[in-house]
Amino acid sequence: MKKRRMFIRMITASLMRRRSRMVVALLSVAIGATILSGLVSIYYDVPRQMGAEFRNYGANMIFTASDGEMSLSDVEAAASKISDEQLVGLAPFRYENVRINDIPVVASGTVPEGVKATSPYWKVEGNWFTKSGELMVGANVAESFRIKAGDMIEVTYTPTEEDGTEAELDNSVFFTVTGIIETGGPEEDYIYMTLEDLATLTETDGRIDVAELSVSATSDELADYVSGISAGSAAVSASLVKRVTASEATVLTKLQALVLLVTIVVLALTMICVATTMTAVVAERRKEIGLRKAIGASDKSIIEEFMGEGMLLGLFGGILGSVLGYLFAQQVSLNVFSSSIVFRPLLVPITVIASIAVTGISSLMPIRSATEVDPALVLKGE
Amino acid sequence: MSLLELKNVSKIYGELHALDDVSLKVEKGEWVSIMGPSGSGKSTMMNIIGCMDKPSLGEVLLDGVDISKENKKNLTTIRRDKIGLIFQQFHLVPYLTAVENVMLAQYYHSMPDEKEALEALERVGLADRAKHLPSQLSGGEQQRVCVARALINYPEIILADEPTGNLDEANEEIVVDLFHKLHSEGTTLIVVTHDPEVAEVAQRTLVLRSGKLHKEKINENFTGKIHFND
Amino acid sequence: MFLRMIKGILTRQWKKMLMIAFTIALGASLASAMLSVMLDVGDKVNQELKTYGANITVVPKENSVLNELYEVEGSGGTGAYLKEDELGKIKTIFWAFNIVDFTPFLDTSATLDDGSEVQIVGSWFDHHMELPTGESLDAGIVSLRSWWELKEGSWLDEQRDGDSADCAMIGVKLAEKLGVSAGSTLHVKGAAAEKDLKIVGIYDAGGSEDEQIYIPLNTAQALADLDGCVDKIEVSALTTPENELSERAAKDPSSLTVAQMETWTCTAYASSICYQIQEVITDSVASPVRQVADSEGAILEKTQLLMILITVLSLIGAALGICNLVTASVMERSQEIGLMKAIGAQNVSVTLMLLTEIFITSLVGGTVGFFAGFGFAQIIGRTVFCSAVSLKPMVVPIVAVLVVAVTMIGSIPAVRMLTRLRPTEVLHGR
Repeated sequence: MKKRRMFIRMITASLMRRRSRMVVALLSVAIGATILSGLVSIYYDVPRQMGAEFRNYGANMIFTASDGEMSLSDVEAAASKISDEQLVGLAPFRYENVRINDIPVVASGTVPEGVKATSPYWKVEGNWFTKSGELMVGANVAESFRIKAGDMIEVTYTPTEEDGTEAELDNSVFFTVTGIIETGGPEEDYIYMTLEDLATLTETDGRIDVAELSVSATSDELADYVSGISAGSAAVSASLVKRVTASEATVLTKLQALVLLVTIVVLALTMICVATTMTAVVAERRKEIGLRKAIGASDKSIIEEFMGEGMLLGLFGGILGSVLGYLFAQQVSLNVFSSSIVFRPLLVPITVIASIAVTGISSLMPIRSATEVDPALVLKGE
Repeated sequence: MSLLELKNVSKIYGELHALDDVSLKVEKGEWVSIMGPSGSGKSTMMNIIGCMDKPSLGEVLLDGVDISKENKKNLTTIRRDKIGLIFQQFHLVPYLTAVENVMLAQYYHSMPDEKEALEALERVGLADRAKHLPSQLSGGEQQRVCVARALINYPEIILADEPTGNLDEANEEIVVDLFHKLHSEGTTLIVVTHDPEVAEVAQRTLVLRSGKLHKEKINENFTGKIHFND
Repeated sequence: MFLRMIKGILTRQWKKMLMIAFTIALGASLASAMLSVMLDVGDKVNQELKTYGANITVVPKENSVLNELYEVEGSGGTGAYLKEDELGKIKTIFWAFNIVDFTPFLDTSATLDDGSEVQIVGSWFDHHMELPTGESLDAGIVSLRSWWELKEGSWLDEQRDGDSADCAMIGVKLAEKLGVSAGSTLHVKGAAAEKDLKIVGIYDAGGSEDEQIYIPLNTAQALADLDGCVDKIEVSALTTPENELSERAAKDPSSLTVAQMETWTCTAYASSICYQIQEVITDSVASPVRQVADSEGAILEKTQLLMILITVLSLIGAALGICNLVTASVMERSQEIGLMKAIGAQNVSVTLMLLTEIFITSLVGGTVGFFAGFGFAQIIGRTVFCSAVSLKPMVVPIVAVLVVAVTMIGSIPAVRMLTRLRPTEVLHGR
């Protein structure tokens, strides 16, 4: 259609030949769109990213034997109900009373990789134990026995005979101390070794007293997991560590509210900023509007053209802003959380539509006021 | 029936009578000049005839239709269909080329037609400048683009407000020649000016003073001759 | 004449100038709001993180070594205790203002009528204490155990006169086992005395506390015949995330140079707070609870970094926005400037006039914006953290410099354009 071609020709002419002004307008729209898409991406990603940070607080779910005993395979079966992405770590623990130099100490058998994941706050002086024949001791134990990393110690255990009496012969195994644990908590009073070593030492196998899990999920999801696992497994009863889950929910809600409010304030201010710039850019063209009216343009067609132009600007600005905003959010995410952000395709149309709406509305006002003025007045140079 | 008829038209701003009980008739194909010093009501009259303003009192009949009571929207339509405007300051859209500026008038009127627009530019002798932006054209060239734009929709009346006010003599002559050409083709011309040289070439000159029709001069020597610029 | 022209523009073209001032005000308010929030977010989030409970524990010196090991064996402590009357001293250390909360605990056990043994913990609930400094403090497990969920009844109210000493709160598991509910009475026999405890509330703590009974500290001391004794103090303090220096200091403060020592004691590291607590509480060992202290540090850092980056983005946005508008509005006036040049104005004088004009506008806009922005910061603070955002003095110069710099930079393209402007082009309709 001929008329539409002229329409497009006029708008492109306006955009191309008034380059400096259009760059100004486009830049302003793009800034608004960048801030919109960038902040909204961050806002939606904060719970996920911060949630991962909150896993620093350690396990938020524990498995205990519902009655009788639970084995490692029971624990693993129960843990498999939690999606791999959400399960940050799983650390099974088995506790036994052993002796060092004839003084009783609690020994815990566990999986070092699991503990590293569930309790990232453990500070180990020296190294983590990795294999059989190595153990870590709590800071208090180390102090009372004057143990330091690298020492060899003998750990003894008195097995119980089938009739319930203590056996005459003690089992004893030599271990290399790889590290000293500092946590500020009860862990400083225990010694930690692999499950296999504890099984060898005690000559019994398979029992797990408690398993700690670190699950990155919302409180509702956690509650679902807990009831699901407790109902689905005969041996395992799951419960939440309220101290961690309740506090996490509180703090996370606050943080998200913070980012939300900041986003709203920043967005509102930026959008008004974009609007004033668009207003200035359009107001400059009062004379042109007057001319168009004088040669016979109806108000409607003038509004159509200028809005068309504004919306085209909004479109380009919005697309540009979506890209820049994503890049910005990505940078923020990489810098703050060292992980990449999820690309939200829905945000692109939202950003573009919002930019178009803001440019449209902000151009509409000066266009309207310009069309209401007598063309004669405008053309006289006023 | 006259093409344009003003019946006892007054335009009053507060105490000031910009136009005071003016009546006149313009026939189809006529070339009329309106003269007068600043503040005599020229511009007011031009605005009223150009459908950009409405009289306070009286009737304005354009092609038999009373436009003095029409609303703004209808005035725009009438202006678009019947009147071609030429301004002192040219008023071209700065980012559109010469031919696009002409096409703009077609666009608002009906259908843009580049071929026709180029023909119009050819008539004003600017065929080779069609793709230039206003900033690349001289004053005279810009005014000729305005003339082309004014006549592209075959208006009933071409209304020129000080068309030569910003032009040097050579360009003035070119524009006056264009008017002759248009007149010979049967276009009705109303030229507002205070340049007696431009006014005198018309068939009839109306002189306004303090909002009243002061005198009317018929140009006995009007030949309708076309001067060619060599 | 220069002043007259400026005055003329500001008074007669006030609508246009108002719009510029408005945009600058928006930019400035954005900057001041974000900066205020950013600078305060650390304190605010730190306060929120207090819901995780104490981040420092204080135990008696001898106790800290083997206490828990002996407890495994079932004996009741080693006989080393902290003194209750020294508790107030915690609020006298250098970092007193960072100490949000602290609560003493005394573990004891008692026999029930059916002969079974229960663990009883004496503590503060909402204890009111007058400090040696003349201030007063309300502290206790009501705030320190914010994650406890009340299943039945109410929190024990120590302020209530008279009978609060005989009241108790019981863990949900133990309550179920004993079949008691809020309002029932439980007869307990301690090492030194017997008591009828009135159960006022049942809590669900999601941990080992669910099998314990919590009673006021003095009642527990009477039961166990340990007047004035406390075996653990939990302290909740606002701390700065640990770094290499603080870790080295925590191990051995004497290894630091004088300057490092000064930095360490003057920074609210958990370790330096611990160090100072140890100095005021006789024979005590204070240590950070790594689970809480470390995680707090990580979360604080992330939040602050996040806010810094968002602030930077909004500052850039505000700056570009202002630049843009200044450019747009100067371009709009090319005709006027062309005219001025035509009647003989030098580039310098035109530029100077333009800049003065914009400078005055930005001054007005910036001032208004600064206060508006501080208002926005208050809205954010009130809504999110239920407390006001404090005005940091450094925000003022930052915003001022930013606004002036940005408007001046924003004028550069405009100034360049107008110096290149040829008056004839402008006046002859272009």
